[in-house]
Amino acid sequence: MLVFALFLYPLFAAFLSLVIQQKRKIDILVILHALLHFGLGAHAFIRRGSLGQMDDLGLFIFLITSLVYLAAAFYRWGEINEGTLRRYRIHSIVLMLFIASMDAACLVKDLGLIWIFVEATTLSSAILITYDNSKASLQAAWKYIFICSVGIALAFVGLLLLVLAQGSHASLHLAKIDISQLSAFWLKLSFIFIMVGFGTKIGLAPLHFWKPDAYNAAAPALCALLSGALMNTALLPILRVDKIMRAAGLGALAQDVYLLMGFISVFVATIYIVKRPNLKRILAYSSIENVGLIMICFGLGGSAIYAGYLHILGHSLIKAALFLLAGNIIRFFGEKAYGKLPGLLQKHKFTGWVWLLGLFMLLGFPPSPLFVSKFLIFGELMGRGMYPQLILLVLLFASLAYAIFKSSFQMFKQDDTAEKERLSHTAFLSPAVLLAIAIILSIWLPVFD
Amino acid sequence: MLQILVLLFGISLLFMSVTNMLNTLIRILAFQGLMLFAITILSSTQLNWLSFAFIALETLIFKALVIPWFLSDTIRHNAINREVEAYVSNFFSLALMSLIFIGSFALAIFSGQHSDKLFPVEFGIAFAAIIKGLFIIMANKKLITHLIGYLVMENGIFLLSIAVGGELPMVISIGISLDLLLLVLVAVLFIKRIKSGFELTESLDEEGEEC
Repeated sequence: MLVFALFLYPLFAAFLSLVIQQKRKIDILVILHALLHFGLGAHAFIRRGSLGQMDDLGLFIFLITSLVYLAAAFYRWGEINEGTLRRYRIHSIVLMLFIASMDAACLVKDLGLIWIFVEATTLSSAILITYDNSKASLQAAWKYIFICSVGIALAFVGLLLLVLAQGSHASLHLAKIDISQLSAFWLKLSFIFIMVGFGTKIGLAPLHFWKPDAYNAAAPALCALLSGALMNTALLPILRVDKIMRAAGLGALAQDVYLLMGFISVFVATIYIVKRPNLKRILAYSSIENVGLIMICFGLGGSAIYAGYLHILGHSLIKAALFLLAGNIIRFFGEKAYGKLPGLLQKHKFTGWVWLLGLFMLLGFPPSPLFVSKFLIFGELMGRGMYPQLILLVLLFASLAYAIFKSSFQMFKQDDTAEKERLSHTAFLSPAVLLAIAIILSIWLPVFD
Repeated sequence: MLQILVLLFGISLLFMSVTNMLNTLIRILAFQGLMLFAITILSSTQLNWLSFAFIALETLIFKALVIPWFLSDTIRHNAINREVEAYVSNFFSLALMSLIFIGSFALAIFSGQHSDKLFPVEFGIAFAAIIKGLFIIMANKKLITHLIGYLVMENGIFLLSIAVGGELPMVISIGISLDLLLLVLVAVLFIKRIKSGFELTESLDEEGEEC
């Protein structure tokens, strides 16, 4: 019963917002949606099964979305919005529908339906990216929707091949797929297509080209959701198919593919981070690097699987916080290039220090869940004797840390002309709370069944 | 009859490799839409009448009429050069298309041993169309040509879903939703008149230019 509230509320709020004439009241509708989302997630966490057929994996992704959405909704409250009421109204409605699409993808167990809902997230998020209607955001959104559409189409080919793999009595419902009847040949081919297709959507290299532009053009709250929630939702079908692959005895092939795509992603992201001195683009490339690390975790298996889930959780919270903080910084300076952002501490001390803390946590310094996950990855690589990969990863991490700190420290240079800026409390407390949760989770590590 | 239509669809893919004009490509797309409509009618036994009517009408109106018209109109209004301006020559394109066909049929015949429900001709041509669509996207700079590539790919997917649909008819209906994405892409290009071409692999700066 509760599950209906998840989908009825956005519809109800959408109708209500059509008659509301103030942006502030529309914001309240969004915050109420985020609170409802969080409340239902917490309830389902305590009383499993209260959200329909949502399983543990779905609930895990749902809870992360809840936290990020709550922070993003409060952050929006503190933003100065100069768009028209009509545009803001559409943006808010689409935002709630975007969240509802992600919820539905977490809820269902049918790969065909998951595919449809992931497709719906592409459509809704593309509309959200074009909010400011600038030429750059329009082109970024076009690029995003086009590349993701190609990816989604390829993922659909993967689903068709999965149907073919089953012969008669085929189904895309996870519980109805008869593993013993699967043709290994078609399943392998299906997996490759699904991996490439949804891999495009999560931004794995070499199919990541939409990501830096889309993140650069999107508003801070949307960036937080794209990186902290949508990425995980797109990862969900891959993790679902991974279970089929393992059950069919093809886990080794899946792991090899994860490792290959993971290392390529970390490598490509590092190269681009060194090249691009832009606040939001660096965070976007860092998302590519982190999704690569998540794939490496699942590719390694063993204790690294735990690291993978911990990395998903930690990265979502930290990256969402950093995108929100980046929004504050861009608001202070009106610029995104690192060289043009000196005197951050003079402008807003709290934002400056929290930003620095967030960067440390993102790079895997304690206290961060990413420290634990990276530690476990190194341990697993050593345990398997994969020393060349270990050395490569260490070198890439070192280059990445150097590039990010080199760029970021320019923001902490003294600037005598800088004036103190005022911010709404929710604009700097929302990201701080996300980081605080991440710190708590790095001390009291969560247990994943 | 069904096999002849599928073969005609396959021949249209070869034609695409040798043309340099956008308008010809769009006519071929409309032709493919008509072929798919006819193929849907001949495959109607797999579907209930409501799904069949919806899919057949959607294929005819959307793939054979509306999208080609939108694309032609966008070219006219945006004053886009009528030439394809591909990165590769026609000869290379044709040779590659032939290789794609050989590879797809080899896959279809080989994989026929793994599934007795599969028809190698449908599968081979559908798979070749998907690969051809990807090739068109990668080998061209213009947004309109990217869209044409996507549409070819989507036509291939539709054909594949018809071939596979005997096992699970629901996939044909699900696949139709890909047209929604296409519609949005075409609408943005048509209404917003964004720049006629940019590299998908290059970053855009704050003004939307490649950097």
